[in-house]
Amino acid sequence: MELLLQTLLNGLLMSGVYALVATGLALSLGVVGIVNFAHGEFLMMGAFLSYLFFALQGLDPLFSLGLAFLAAFLVGGLVYQGLIRPVLPAPELNQMLLTFGLSILLQNLALLLFGADTRVVAPSYQAATLTLGPFFLGAVPLGAFMLSLGLLFLLQVFLTRSRLGLAMRAVAQNRLAPGLLGIEADQVYLLAFGLAAALAGVAGVMLSVILYASPTVGFIFTLKSFAIVALAGLGNLKGVVPAALVLALAEALVSTYLPGGGGLVEAVFFLVLFLALVGRAWRSP
Amino acid sequence: MRKALGFLVLLAGLAWAQTALKVGVILPLSGASAVSGKAALNGIQLAADEVNATGKAKLELVVVDDGTDAAKAVPAFTKLMTVDKVDIVIGGLASGVTFALSGPVKQYGPLFLVIGAASSVVEQAFEGYPLFFHYHPWDYHNVAAALQFFQYLNREHGAKKVAILYEDGPFGSAGIGVYKQQLEKLGYQVQAEPYKTGSGQFTAILTRFRAFAPDILYWIGYDVDALPIATQARQVGLRPKLIYGAPPSWPIGFERNPLSNDVAGMTAWLPTLSNAESRRFVEAYRKKYGEVTEEYMAPMGYTIVKSLALAVEKAGSNEKNRIAEALATLRMNTPFGPLAFKPSDTGKTRYQGFGADIWFQFQYLEGSRRPVFPKDKASRPLRYPGEYYLR
Amino acid sequence: MRELSHLPFLSFFLLLFALLPFLPLGIWGAFLLDVGFFIQLFTAMALSWDLVARTGQLSLAHGAFFGLGAYGAGLLAPHVGTLPALVFGAFVAGAGALLLGSVTLRLHGLYFAIASLAFSEVLRTLALKLAFTGGPIGLPVPPPFGGVWPLAAYYLSFGVLLLATALSLWAEWSPFRLAQAATRQSEAVARVLGVRVVRVKLWSLLLGSLVAGLSGGVYGMKTLFLSPYDAFSLGRAVEALVIPIFGGLYSTLGPLVGGVVLVGLEQALRLWIKEGYLVVYGAILILVILFLPRGLVGLLGRRRG
Repeated sequence: MELLLQTLLNGLLMSGVYALVATGLALSLGVVGIVNFAHGEFLMMGAFLSYLFFALQGLDPLFSLGLAFLAAFLVGGLVYQGLIRPVLPAPELNQMLLTFGLSILLQNLALLLFGADTRVVAPSYQAATLTLGPFFLGAVPLGAFMLSLGLLFLLQVFLTRSRLGLAMRAVAQNRLAPGLLGIEADQVYLLAFGLAAALAGVAGVMLSVILYASPTVGFIFTLKSFAIVALAGLGNLKGVVPAALVLALAEALVSTYLPGGGGLVEAVFFLVLFLALVGRAWRSP
Repeated sequence: MRKALGFLVLLAGLAWAQTALKVGVILPLSGASAVSGKAALNGIQLAADEVNATGKAKLELVVVDDGTDAAKAVPAFTKLMTVDKVDIVIGGLASGVTFALSGPVKQYGPLFLVIGAASSVVEQAFEGYPLFFHYHPWDYHNVAAALQFFQYLNREHGAKKVAILYEDGPFGSAGIGVYKQQLEKLGYQVQAEPYKTGSGQFTAILTRFRAFAPDILYWIGYDVDALPIATQARQVGLRPKLIYGAPPSWPIGFERNPLSNDVAGMTAWLPTLSNAESRRFVEAYRKKYGEVTEEYMAPMGYTIVKSLALAVEKAGSNEKNRIAEALATLRMNTPFGPLAFKPSDTGKTRYQGFGADIWFQFQYLEGSRRPVFPKDKASRPLRYPGEYYLR
Repeated sequence: MRELSHLPFLSFFLLLFALLPFLPLGIWGAFLLDVGFFIQLFTAMALSWDLVARTGQLSLAHGAFFGLGAYGAGLLAPHVGTLPALVFGAFVAGAGALLLGSVTLRLHGLYFAIASLAFSEVLRTLALKLAFTGGPIGLPVPPPFGGVWPLAAYYLSFGVLLLATALSLWAEWSPFRLAQAATRQSEAVARVLGVRVVRVKLWSLLLGSLVAGLSGGVYGMKTLFLSPYDAFSLGRAVEALVIPIFGGLYSTLGPLVGGVVLVGLEQALRLWIKEGYLVVYGAILILVILFLPRGLVGLLGRRRG
């Protein structure tokens, strides 16, 4: 029983970061309608920003959180203006190739600048642990989880309370409506894409503390984010958190209870996804 | 007459020293093994510069990138053979790619100086190829070196239980069966669990290990896993007496992280080694590149070029078979210790450079890596148990 | 008759590949032959991906078909010889495709893409865990026909390309093309028009997977070694998708031109730029999308139009 609860706790904590990264992807997919293969590269930028400030200035990654948010927002905005906006009328596949090219370009630029090495930061609280009776919670994963939830909550408030946020939701629900309502679609797109990048940037800072910074750190998160977004249903922002939770819990349960489970984590992640997608398609008429 | 002959020999010698020897270099400069590949290239270029500066031999490097990908390596290798027309190739870092090169190597027949490719399947692929010089130890050497350390831990420190975390790719799982068997033979109780490298998710496995209460937590994986393992072992309350790992390289900045304290590992070389060749190498490297490398592939590349230059000098010829003959009987000191080629332990290939004895164990102590085992290489005693146990 | 006007180009490319070993290329001959080998295989992959994409199914499982074919052929080749092993590998890939296709019939667009990606990841793990595949250590593969003919691997890959081109042309010229296009644009409308959507989708996926499986089989016989991470690589699937978009979708000429240019370009960039060549590669992809929305073959159309 203790082991089960601890396993569920592990899964829960992991789901926060997953949800944060995947929400960004869902925003760019749901609002802008772009399949962004370069999403993980915004995450990678956040991780490197955190590493560089730590290594050069001794700056705690906590401070980098805000910086990464702003920097990634800015880069995301620029990418939207320079690359995404011109291809919005183009077919979906062209957009995919464009973001794929961007992903290759950014990853290899990082490789050129920093090398392929794995880099780590060392804040004093890195291995701090909270013990609750027989259970333990890593302080950093817990903090990352809380922060992710906080950010997602703020995003939710923004989407339901502010005019721009409502416009964004309108676009997400019906890509024709905003034109009819006279909403500045372009502004909405810009903001959504910038926010998507910013969320990934923040996640990157968290991951620089939990994992590492390297040119390829974003890849697996892009992959899993696509999985989560597909499980939630494309464009369904609210479904992202439960979907992230389902997949994170599946991973945790597998690695605890299956013999040799550590090597099967990703396979199970994708198996769950596959079954869910297929199951849902056959159930709906 | 004797004088004239001597003069002629000298002239001839000067003549071949003047014609540059073209050497092909095929390394992963992009893709999964790029870190090691670039380190190796730095070492190779440094040595080539030194050789050319002495004027005893003249080497001209032709470098190509194998992309850690067979589909890129094969054409790149063919280009070295047919366009650049080299007779000597240094390369073969990643095992899979080196295996793919076995076809074209046998077709074109160059002198092949292999820097990495530790997997013994590569040894099968090159079985019977006469010009195959393998500098790096084979995987069974790596296993032997680690087992020697485990034997010491068992005998001197009473370690009895090992928990092994191994990544489920070729690097981690190729030798796992042998490891388990051999450790049990040494009297250890063993529990082994696979994991996905880079996932950073160890809490579940480490929690399970807690009930086993291992003396040693041993992970066979990559640099990306170093920090998550050190962190999460503490978080789940696992208290091994030694955290020991054997990744090909370690994360940059790990030594400045307090969590690295007392973590032990295996390597073939450290910049702090005290042998004369290593000190000379570090100094020259710093001069050329303005920094110190931590990657053992840098001195490995350096060693290969240095040995090649010596062999060329000894052979007095740029012809590959003559050079190979000279290389086969060469004795030299390297940053790793003495180098001499002999048939491999399995007898499948004839020229094996280094063996299990170049590996040694180090520990992160006060922010730097220091050799702790075996005794003749140790600069500090092993801290056992480590601070993660004493907390 | 749009597609017929491309026939001279197509024949030119195929003839070029067929005669490549005999062209007077001087010292670059052997290198170009090796590059040509991989161009043919990856172009065949791209054609087979395009064949599937014409029904609206965005496959990310082509890496898995490639891997199934590679392992199928690699495991059998020492026992039954080269050609039967290749055919067997293709059938294994085809079986995988039928399995995937029949359960994902109702998934569209990105959902299908993600499901096929998941399929591919699960298969890779299987190849890693199953005992007979050699697992993580990998699987040595003998060269084709015992390595007797130096050009055997090259002409096998040419054969795969020829087959891929023929299938693609057939699909382009026959009524199958209309069925595919209708299915892509709207399955509901296609049904009303009397298109048997299920059959069209499954056939397309099956044909595509057979070609991908053959490519994998021939690949293994050239690299002589397979590992799950290499054979089932997601990168292979992505490359199969990048080439048609780069060259021009839903056609035979597009993937063909795209494959020759893109795979060739990558080899060339790597040789001449060395460090950071992929930065340039990525930039070229972006520029093509920005300025040539219909891919490289868009250039041809524009010039004629």
